[in-house]
Amino acid sequence: MSVRLQPELRNQLIQFGIGDWNACYHCGTCTAICPLSEKGFLFPRNKIRLMQMGVKDELETSVEPWLCYYCGDCTKSCPRDANPGELMMSLRRYLTSKYDWTGLSRKFYTSGVWELGFILVFAALVVIAFLFLLPAYGFKFTTELTAQGGVQVNAFAPWEYIEIFDWSMAAVVALLLISNILRMYYKIIWKDGKTTVSIWTHIREFWLLIYNFVVQPRFSKCEDKNYWLSHWFLMSGYTIMFIVIVVYLEWFQTDEILPFWHPQRTLGYYATFGLLFGLFVAIIGRIRKKRIKFQFSHVSDWLFLIMLTLTVITGILIHIFRINGMAWATYISYIAHMAILVPMILIEVPFSKWSHLAYRPFAVYFQQLKKHAVPRKSNQ
Amino acid sequence: MEEPRIGVYICWCGTNIAKMVDVEAVASEVSSMPHVVLAKNYKYMCSDPGQELIIKDIKVHNLNRVIVAACSPRIHELTFRTACEKAGINPYLFEMANIREQDSWVHTDRSEATKKAIDLVIAAIRRVRFHEALEKRSVSVNPATLVIGGGIAGMTASLEIAASGKQVYLVEKADHLGGMVAQLDLTFPHLSSAQQIIHPLIQRVKNNPNIKVFLNTQIQQVHGYIGNFNTTILQNGNESVEIEFGNIIAAVGLKPFDPVVIPEYGYKKIPDVVTSVEFEQMLLSGLIQTSEGKDPRNVAIIHCVGSRNKKFHEYCSRVCCMTALKYVHQIRAALPDANIFEVYADMRAYGKGHEEFYAHTTHKQIIFLMFDQQTGLPRIRKAGAADKCNIIIEMDELLSGISIEVPVDMVVLMTNMEAHDDVKEVVRSIGVSLCGNQFFIEKHPKLDPVATTTGGVYIVGGCQGPKDIPDSVSQARAAAARILATIAQESVPVEVTTAQVNELLCCGCQTCVRVCPYSAVSYDESKKSSVVNEVLCKGCGTCGAACPAGAIKCKHFTDSQILAEIEGIMSLSYKY
Ligand SMILES: Cc1cc2nc3c(=O)[nH]c(=O)nc-3n(C[C@H](O)[C@H](O)[C@H](O)COP(=O)(O)OP(=O)(O)OC[C@H]3O[C@@H](n4cnc5c(N)ncnc54)[C@H](O)[C@@H]3O)c2cc1C
Ligand code: SF4
Ligand code: SF4
Ligand code: SF4
Ligand code: SF4
Ligand code: SF4
Repeated sequence: MSVRLQPELRNQLIQFGIGDWNACYHCGTCTAICPLSEKGFLFPRNKIRLMQMGVKDELETSVEPWLCYYCGDCTKSCPRDANPGELMMSLRRYLTSKYDWTGLSRKFYTSGVWELGFILVFAALVVIAFLFLLPAYGFKFTTELTAQGGVQVNAFAPWEYIEIFDWSMAAVVALLLISNILRMYYKIIWKDGKTTVSIWTHIREFWLLIYNFVVQPRFSKCEDKNYWLSHWFLMSGYTIMFIVIVVYLEWFQTDEILPFWHPQRTLGYYATFGLLFGLFVAIIGRIRKKRIKFQFSHVSDWLFLIMLTLTVITGILIHIFRINGMAWATYISYIAHMAILVPMILIEVPFSKWSHLAYRPFAVYFQQLKKHAVPRKSNQ
Repeated sequence: MEEPRIGVYICWCGTNIAKMVDVEAVASEVSSMPHVVLAKNYKYMCSDPGQELIIKDIKVHNLNRVIVAACSPRIHELTFRTACEKAGINPYLFEMANIREQDSWVHTDRSEATKKAIDLVIAAIRRVRFHEALEKRSVSVNPATLVIGGGIAGMTASLEIAASGKQVYLVEKADHLGGMVAQLDLTFPHLSSAQQIIHPLIQRVKNNPNIKVFLNTQIQQVHGYIGNFNTTILQNGNESVEIEFGNIIAAVGLKPFDPVVIPEYGYKKIPDVVTSVEFEQMLLSGLIQTSEGKDPRNVAIIHCVGSRNKKFHEYCSRVCCMTALKYVHQIRAALPDANIFEVYADMRAYGKGHEEFYAHTTHKQIIFLMFDQQTGLPRIRKAGAADKCNIIIEMDELLSGISIEVPVDMVVLMTNMEAHDDVKEVVRSIGVSLCGNQFFIEKHPKLDPVATTTGGVYIVGGCQGPKDIPDSVSQARAAAARILATIAQESVPVEVTTAQVNELLCCGCQTCVRVCPYSAVSYDESKKSSVVNEVLCKGCGTCGAACPAGAIKCKHFTDSQILAEIEGIMSLSYKY
């Protein structure tokens, strides 16, 4: 069966990244040099070809863009400066928007107005909630300090309520993400209609998913080990923060000032350090543009970095102000922290860059499934 | 005949010959042969000291025959003949033995190669004894020139010759001058206007008093030989004019191939499938529109239509890749939102500025799709009602390895450029030949690309092989320079080694008249014998071999010379 070209696809793809892909003349150097491309799952050259031609269906059902960890080796060795690594990145943005059924992802990637508008609306909602909603339930801003001289955070933002909010936000985000992952699964595994994968394979290969999520081994395959390290710091910091805030907020958000070596504080410090270190490397990298990965920055890349940095900084401020008994400063930092965090989570986790965090290990899982796929019996 | 005094020189050709042939052994072997006065070997015979050696020996030892055993006579025969002439002996008393191409380069056993070299030198020694001194001849040159074809090549050559005040007869088959270029809109790679290139040229030709233009005219049989040709011109099919001229330039160009014979492309069956020449017309009119009068949303340009395919023409038409890229610019300018597909088999960007043009064009947001001539051409079909386009191209895309359908509204076929239907008559009338692709054959593909093997006949532009405007113009000017040189000299040397009929032996069968490829032999009724026109004769020897009466002698290839040479090769003794 021959596939119908969709030349309009080009105009769509341009919005997700760099647009001049005729630079590639298909020498195949990139595929040969790519440390992650393997038999049966070759990239990036063949994907660039599909982009050039506008073969929408084949692009949408391909898993390969997620197998690329953007080491930049291909871009370094491309004789035509076609930047295959960035084309893969553009493709991941495009695929993210295709997995997302709400259509918001596409809007965020292709329109700065939409993205900014979304952020402002949710930031405003958060501020309103703190200024009017919580006080209506009897919670108050108080300058009265605890016996230790700390700020009474829980009096103004009780952990039970915040946790309920966290949980509901997590649920919404998770639902969106899971549904997007299911769509990804459907596209990659079932939509091509040629093969089928047994339940047993699904179960057997599942451990890989866990392993990949935790260790991110594909990353270490790429040549630059330093980068793998900073990425790992960023990742683990983010995960620890996520767990303590969503699951153990009662334990994390205390009015009592615990001793320095208490795990609440050491874990928090570690996570903060991990986040800051990872962010620092990424921001400096994008400014210096030395690493190929950072040579081209989509608007969404910068926005995400800025928001995450602001979140971390406001988080640190809350901590400093609280233990030093600076009540108003603590409250303002807290509201600012939430006003940035909430829209960031809502955009990034299901719709944008951080969804890659979920898509990547799943892609490896799906790749494994595909390796064990058997040709589908036709009905005739 | 004076007693032959032969000098033999064995060349090392550096190590080319010396590594496989024992040159000293060859020299000493033949030195004792009768008539051999001396036999020497030297590192490079063709070098100045090598030639000096020959000249000195001729004078000191009073030699009257010289043999050099070295490379092919194609390369250095003239060098050594000239050396002989300088030393005062007739250049035709020289003979060359080829012990490089025919010996050292093709053998691996040194002793066998040495033996073979000895045989080749002996054959030359035996032959050279029968050589006769031949006199150089020349003929006067008529300063007028006939140019056939009024395209850019023919017109450029005409203007160049006319500029020196010489008469030009320019014969054009069509009712207007300009050829292909007059039908083009813009030209690659600078996107300059073809009309602005060709129209001033046409005006200059028309206004030049030294150029007589014959439109609607076809050439008749040309008689004569270099420097002295004549023919009758039939203008508009009736008016006949006698013209005489000394040189001829063929500039008949090429014509577009008719893609009707390629079933895959549906040309003339499917609307909006047009050829490149038709598309040029569309561009000249300023409107790119479908047959329904709409702007096409998607346009495909298919390369190599009838080219590079054994079923049609194996050669590459050379200009169509760049022309196809030129269309990208023109379509992009007229239809900014159109999708443009370049359906190609290979991108040929050989010329000055072409690669840059290609690179620049790729940024015009076009989609390149590659097909493989071997596995199958793209297939064009009319789209159905649900397709939202006029035409569908189905193809196996080579770089992705998948079968695709391309939805388009217009297809431009980059047609091959092939010889005119009447080209065989043209070559026959001016006595030149065509290659397998029906292009005029040049005298030497590298060293003499605008001359032909027929003296005084030159070929320029497309008819010599597909080419672009700059190359056509360069050839035109080169041929004009060659012709002006012969006109300036007022005479040209003609072949010396011609055939001669012995009237007493000729039986009048006229076999020679029929076999001569240069129409140099005619039958003289009054003498009842064939006669060779020594100006036309190229000394090919065909008639001499064909004559059943043994009446034809080919100078420098007489029976006695050839038999002596064969004896030398066959006999293993050195004595005769
Ligand atoms: C679609 C197309 C686009 C092109 N675009 C470009 C371009 O952008 N740039 C570029 O450099 N080149 C281009 N070319 C190539 C260019 O057209 C040729 O290089 C050029 O025409 C060669 O000139 P010519 O004089 O040799 O032959 P022609 O232009 O073909 O002229 C030959 C002339 O001889 C006449 N003739 C033929 N037979 C006889 C006969 N028996 N007796 C008398 N007269 C005869 C013909 O009528 C014609 O007038 C293009 C070609 C095509 C087909
Ligand atoms: S992206 Fe570069 S390296 Fe890869 S095939 Fe294209 S030209 Fe070659
Ligand atoms: S960036 Fe690295 S992993 Fe990605 S395609 Fe290029 S070489 Fe492969
Ligand atoms: S120039 Fe290009 S289109 Fe024309 S025959 Fe050659 S390869 Fe084909
Ligand atoms: S082939 Fe010989 S015999 Fe016959 S016509 Fe010619 S010269 Fe005379
Ligand atoms: S030698 Fe050749 S060219 Fe001369 S007359 Fe005989 S056949 Fe013709």
